[in-house]
Amino acid sequence: MRKIWLIFKREYITRVRTKAFVLGTLALPLLSIAILVISILLSGGTSRNSTRIAIVDEVGGVGGAVEKALREGKSSAQLKPEVVQVVQVVEHPTPETEAYLNSQVMQNELDGILVLPKGLLKGTAAAQFHARGMRTAALMGPIERAVNAAIIARRLSAEGKSAGAMKNVFQVVQVQLVNASSQKEEDPSETNFAVAIVAGMVLYMTLIVYGMSTMHSVMEEKTTRMVEILVSSIKPFDLLTGKIVSVGAVALTQYLIWALTIGVLFASAASVTALVRPGAATPGINLSPMLLVYLVVFFLAGYFLYSALYAAAGAIVSNDEEARQAQMPLTLLILCSFMLFNVILNNPNSTTSVILSMTPFLSPILMTLRVAMQTPPLWQIVLALGFSIATTVYTIRISARIYRVGILMYGKRPSLKELRRWLRYS
Amino acid sequence: MNAVSLEKVTKRYDSFDAVSSLTMEIKEGAVFGLLGPNGAGKTTTLRMIVRILLPDQGSVRVLGEPLSERTQDLIGYLPEERGLYRQMRLLEILRFLGALKGLSEAESERRARVWLDRLGLGDRVNYEVHSLSRGMQQKIQFIAAIIHRPRLVILDEPFTGLDPVNAALIKDVMLELRNQGATIILSTHRMDQVEQMCDSICLMNKGQKLLDGDLKAIKKSYGNNTVRMEFIGDQAFLQLPDIIERINPYGEMVDIKLRPGADAQQILKSAVERGVRVHRFELIEPPLNDIFIEKVSERNA
Repeated sequence: MRKIWLIFKREYITRVRTKAFVLGTLALPLLSIAILVISILLSGGTSRNSTRIAIVDEVGGVGGAVEKALREGKSSAQLKPEVVQVVQVVEHPTPETEAYLNSQVMQNELDGILVLPKGLLKGTAAAQFHARGMRTAALMGPIERAVNAAIIARRLSAEGKSAGAMKNVFQVVQVQLVNASSQKEEDPSETNFAVAIVAGMVLYMTLIVYGMSTMHSVMEEKTTRMVEILVSSIKPFDLLTGKIVSVGAVALTQYLIWALTIGVLFASAASVTALVRPGAATPGINLSPMLLVYLVVFFLAGYFLYSALYAAAGAIVSNDEEARQAQMPLTLLILCSFMLFNVILNNPNSTTSVILSMTPFLSPILMTLRVAMQTPPLWQIVLALGFSIATTVYTIRISARIYRVGILMYGKRPSLKELRRWLRYS
Repeated sequence: MNAVSLEKVTKRYDSFDAVSSLTMEIKEGAVFGLLGPNGAGKTTTLRMIVRILLPDQGSVRVLGEPLSERTQDLIGYLPEERGLYRQMRLLEILRFLGALKGLSEAESERRARVWLDRLGLGDRVNYEVHSLSRGMQQKIQFIAAIIHRPRLVILDEPFTGLDPVNAALIKDVMLELRNQGATIILSTHRMDQVEQMCDSICLMNKGQKLLDGDLKAIKKSYGNNTVRMEFIGDQAFLQLPDIIERINPYGEMVDIKLRPGADAQQILKSAVERGVRVHRFELIEPPLNDIFIEKVSERNA
């Protein structure tokens, strides 16, 4: 154990000290600060504090009601009511006023004109929203709701009924999406989708980047012949263990730093928002603790599996050229998981998705994706984890045998047939 | 007690036996030379003693014990293939390697400083390995092999690439370790070094032992059948096929191997007849070099 610890420590310290690690670790927090600031700046949709519109009321007496409804309109994720500011309500417009308003839009003084035509009450004409560019598309929902509310109230009062009394009649019915397996309410927003993609990507990147890193570390020891001194003091299996655990710890260190910075950033997002742009919406993310646990567990299973393979690849090669060839099949294997992202994202509970998420070598990434999308039944998670661990243990045993022989073999890269023979060496 | 004993040790690769049924004993406190042509199985044998490779058959014991992690810590090993982590500082790498052999890190660092001073690298403790010359790196590796005061030191070609001053420095340290009771196994192609330093040898070829034992006894068994001569004049006087089997010229000097039962005086007589001026004429034991060549070519023939 003491020797494994020494290997671990040396590898860890040497790695954390490198420029690549320091720069790589700093890059992401800096990037996320930039993203946070930009998303706050963009959250209003325009450079001004609110969207300014004018209402042209050809019906007469409805414009004020629409303005009121817009002000009182329920806040939604996309738009806060105060963000739409009605600058002007014009009743029975003349061609001159219309031309003036149009020129205001063209000069960017106004973001749009809402036209309520005469036939609106009878339903023979549609309200129109004249706007420049598509950035105001997000306004359409609230505007539609506000116009509807105002027109319906007007029709009701024409029938002699109070709009207030009929409020319950027009209460909008909501339909919720419910996950059949867990009977939990599903958040119809796209947060899960994003979390799943980010989790999958992080895993995918880690396996490749840190897998290659392990491979190069093995290669360095082999090509500098350092390994012969090392294995005269420590068993090859222990050396491999210390190295893989150490590289994994470096990866986790990096993620911990990232997670902390991002966590602190989002926790302080409100104050950052106030600082950068007062009054804008606060961006945020939601991660369930269970998801984090699964993420770490599948990360570990996938990491040990692939880094053992990469270590074996590093042990059988003697130069960079051979290394590129040897790591190809492994990178393709990981790429395979990446290519199957779509299948899982489209339907995380289809039979194909379930089978793929249990397939050895694909399981670590694809199961994480499913877990992030919507929690699959526990038995599936446990089964996938079981398969993953079994594959990992078996792979490590084979890799360790190849590693043990390979690190002392210089010269030509062995063929698959030779590799099989290596497994039998005592 | 034997520092190392191998009994019928075999190491098999796909198409050949790198070492086949090798039995060998190395006495504690000796300087032992493991000799043989390239590919004889020397490095494989050493690797089995250090437990880098495991034998397919037979047993290896070090200082009376079967091989284990404990015996690994009793051995210091300088492999023939050399290299160090390029980005590490001298002191760090020695502290790491010493600790890997069972020293505490503080003690390892203390000893590293002492040895770096002694081998003339005291002012470079914080240099990174890649900034050093090959010879300096080799000295670092030598320190790594002996820092934990091993009872068995295995040195594979320790002098290649060293200038005479550094070679002498390493040789002094080796003999000092021997005087303190350590056993030293030296694997080399330089027969002159073996003759200077080794008490006993084992000569291997194609994975098998050709001969082994006390160096003096081996040489004696070949008898005084070699004449070492220095002279001025034409070499033609040496054309005596009945008496001379082989001539090895070394510049100023020649070693002349006599045929069995031949009289060395015939050579002297021939020289005088031809008017050659003889500065040196000495009947000696055969040089190890000759024994090596004779034994190996006899086997290969």
